[in-house]
Formats: sequence, C-alpha cells, structure tokens
Amino acid sequence: MKQRSKTQEEDVEINMTPMLDIVFIMLIFFIVTAVFVKEAGVEVNKPEAVMSQKVKQVSTLIAITEDDKIWINKNEVELRDVRAIVEQLRKENPKGKVVIQGDAESKSGIMVDIMDQLSQAGVTGVAISALEDN
Amino acid sequence: MRKRSHVSDEEAEVNMTPMLDIVFIMLIFFIVTATFIQESGLDVSRPDPNQEQEKNDSKVRPVLIQLTDDNKVFLDRREVDVRSVRANVEKRRAENPKTPVIIQAGRESEVGLLVSVMDQSQQAGAAISIAPLVGQPGR
Repeated sequence: MKQRSKTQEEDVEINMTPMLDIVFIMLIFFIVTAVFVKEAGVEVNKPEAVMSQKVKQVSTLIAITEDDKIWINKNEVELRDVRAIVEQLRKENPKGKVVIQGDAESKSGIMVDIMDQLSQAGVTGVAISALEDN
Repeated sequence: MRKRSHVSDEEAEVNMTPMLDIVFIMLIFFIVTATFIQESGLDVSRPDPNQEQEKNDSKVRPVLIQLTDDNKVFLDRREVDVRSVRANVEKRRAENPKTPVIIQAGRESEVGLLVSVMDQSQQAGAAISIAPLVGQPGR
C-alpha cells in the first residue's frame, strides 16, 4: 500500500521542460519584435487615399487635430518644439519612420511646417497617414 | 548507503518554479506592451536641396499643382476640379515620363485636399514634392 501511494505521487509531478522551452521562445519573440511605438495620443479623422500602403517600422506618430493642435507622445506640443522632441524620441530607434496623422480638416500649412522641422531633425522616412480606400 | 545516494539524486534537480514565474511575468509584460500598430499612409519624399538644383537645370518642366487657402486646385496655373488631377498629371507624364509633381499648399488649405491630390499624383506614378504656397496662384 505504501509503495503504491509513492508511485502516484511521482506521477502527479508534470514535466515542465517542454512548456518552459515554448515559453522562452515566445518571450524571445516578443522581446525582439517589441518596437515601443510613440503614439500621438489623440484620435484624428484621417483622410482616405487609394495609394495608401502599410508603413513599416513606425517609431513616432505626430498628430494634427481638427483645430490645428500638434500632439506627440501623448502631449500637446508647440510647433517650434517639434524638432527637439522628435530628435529626442528617435535616439532609441534612429531608423524608424515618422508618420504624420493629419486630420482631414486641419490646415496644410502646419503639416508643411512639421515636415520642414522633421527634415531639419534629419528624418528621412516621413509618411502622411491615410486610410486605405478600396 | 543506498539511502544517501537517493538524497543526492533528488538534490541534483533544480527547482524551476521561481524562474518559471519570472519568465511568465516577463512574457505577459511583453505581450501587453507589444503594440502591433498597423499604420497606413502615403510616403513623402522631401526634395533634397541639391537635387532641386539639378531639377531646375534640366529641361523637364514639373507639373505645378497649387492649393489655395479656399481649397481650390490650380494645375499649371489653371483652375481644375480635384477629380481631374490624375488625368491631367497622366497627360503631362505621357509627354515626358520623368515629369515630377510639385504641390504648393496654401497655409489654410485642408489636409484632406492635399492628401487627395497627392494620392492622385501617386496613382499617375509621379514623384511628389511638397512646398508652401507663396503669393497668389494662377495668372
């Protein structure tokens, strides 16, 4: 009777090694793919475009709201500060692209000014956000 | 003697539970923070100052699209409908396939209009430059 009880107790212990392997692989996958995107923090009404395509390696989002306010990294910022902020944010991921999310009713002048500031900051990959129109 | 050997065998097995806990917590953290942002948009190539010089020297006359503050579209200094931009750009590019498009956007024009014009120019296959509009379009 005693012998039998011991066998049962040993059977209860599950071999965790395969699960541990899988968990480790998932962990490594998520660490590698994590590209902490700096979200703008506001929702804008994006314009539609047929030629719109998925932008890869987005690192920073800049939003222009309907009333022409600029949002970066969940903060409202002034136009003259855009360059400094973008330069600072891009230190972590210098190859990432910057996407400007302009509201369809915001003013183009601000978008052109932001693009000017981005080129001063040395950003080469700039895209204007637009919904895919099919 | 036998008993001792058994004890040593059991000690060789490392207790994995705390490590497993930590690994799981890290896994959950990375899953939660992973933001798979699907951002779609139009690529913009800002003109390089040196390249712009070359463009001016060459004989290719770019398509000039001007957007006024009251959201009117002027193509080569002639007022056109927004929907006809693509056809006009395609016509110009049929004459010279290297023809680029320069969009001059007025400060008060809407981004929606700018994106629509950019979209149509890209559908026609043109390289786009964006610049601010100085002065009055047309005439």
